[in-house]
Amino acid sequence: MSGPLDGLDLAGAAAAKDAWLELSVAADHEAVEAVSEILSRAAPGGTSVEPAFELVEDGLAARLDLARPALVRAYLPVRSPEAVRSAVAQADRELGHLQAFGLRPIGDLGARLVREADWANAWKVHFPVLRVGRRIVIRPTWRRHRRQPDDVVLALDPGMAFGTGLHPTTRLCLAALEALADRGALDGARVLDVGSGSGILSIGAARLGAASVLAVDVDPIAVEASAANARRNRLARRIRVREGSAPSGEGPFDVVLANLIASLLVTLADGLAEDLRPGGTLLASGIFANREAEVVAALGRRGLSIARRWTEGDWVALEAVRPPG
Amino acid sequence: MAKKIRIVLTLQLPAGKATPAPPVGTALGPHGINIVEFTKSYNEKTADKLGQVIPAQITVFEDRSFTFVLKTPPAPDLLRKAAGIDKGSQTPKRAVAGRVTRDQVRAIAEQKMPDLNVNDVEAGMKVIEGTARSMGIEVVG
Repeated sequence: MSGPLDGLDLAGAAAAKDAWLELSVAADHEAVEAVSEILSRAAPGGTSVEPAFELVEDGLAARLDLARPALVRAYLPVRSPEAVRSAVAQADRELGHLQAFGLRPIGDLGARLVREADWANAWKVHFPVLRVGRRIVIRPTWRRHRRQPDDVVLALDPGMAFGTGLHPTTRLCLAALEALADRGALDGARVLDVGSGSGILSIGAARLGAASVLAVDVDPIAVEASAANARRNRLARRIRVREGSAPSGEGPFDVVLANLIASLLVTLADGLAEDLRPGGTLLASGIFANREAEVVAALGRRGLSIARRWTEGDWVALEAVRPPG
Repeated sequence: MAKKIRIVLTLQLPAGKATPAPPVGTALGPHGINIVEFTKSYNEKTADKLGQVIPAQITVFEDRSFTFVLKTPPAPDLLRKAAGIDKGSQTPKRAVAGRVTRDQVRAIAEQKMPDLNVNDVEAGMKVIEGTARSMGIEVVG
């Protein structure tokens, strides 16, 4: 009789003591919890459920597709082949019973061996030391970097706040900041960072010459991350972080950074303009190319004109200036 | 920030006891998110729910930052509690593991409504009843 364990070298895996057996079943949304329950009896560490979904609003939101099945996975350590066979046979039988109870059909039980890995550290390979523009270097805190004389190094702990440096919108803003610094526009400047996320832009601004930075974000997790990353870079005295948005009520600033999204830039245009002193510069980023005209128009209505633009892939960043006087 | 989404997925984990071992490591590892920050944050948020299974719906963004929200406990967990049993029947067609009342099923359906793909509580109750029967839990009254 064929079964999910056919062809798997359970004895070898048990001898090597470094393998897990992955059990997987495609299940209708309604049956996901019942399937998870059955799999967790064989594999008590919990289950992962990958639902079908589609991205909407230019990828800024995800809508779960409940009409298509989700993939449920669970894992058991392979210690003894007999114990694994018995647990899997039991799970297979119980899954077979499910359809008798009015839940919609599910797929067959699948199984494969997964090698043990250093999961607590393996994710770190995705975060190399990154160079942005000419001088800026983003260094994940656990990595070393041999500093060149001109390097501006930003130490960062990626986590639950946007702004790891891996996304074009962040890199565009950093490159634009560097260009501002090259013209001396950041020397001694007061800077506002709206939607600070990880705090990467605030840290960049401070490192490139700003005298003080106010970082605001509506997300408390981002506020915490910005503050922690500022401390990590020994910039806690120059970067103040709090919950908030634009207008900040503490303006005007010489430079305002807004790496948001097009729709939010349009909504906040009044506040951003209010926070900017005459002659000051706004860096607006997070703009999908097909929304650029809307942002330009919204800023134009507040008297801001576009001085420069940067692009990477489908993304655009704009440098807008408020006329002096 | 321009948080473009890479993927959404759910982990059903023991509250307060998540570790980087599977399913956490295998589900999140390929997306390169900070797994230790996830387990630490999940365990802090669920520390007062020890002994329950609390699903976390995780959104991973394109720059490998992420966020998550906690969902209602799975129906089997709630049914076991309502029936006062440790586990469901392993032969649900033959052996009855426990009993719940229709009122208890209604209460569970009401609690689960935000996460069920149904329009009203009656339809939600049908889903919960199906799950109950699949565990050998009889619905009475």
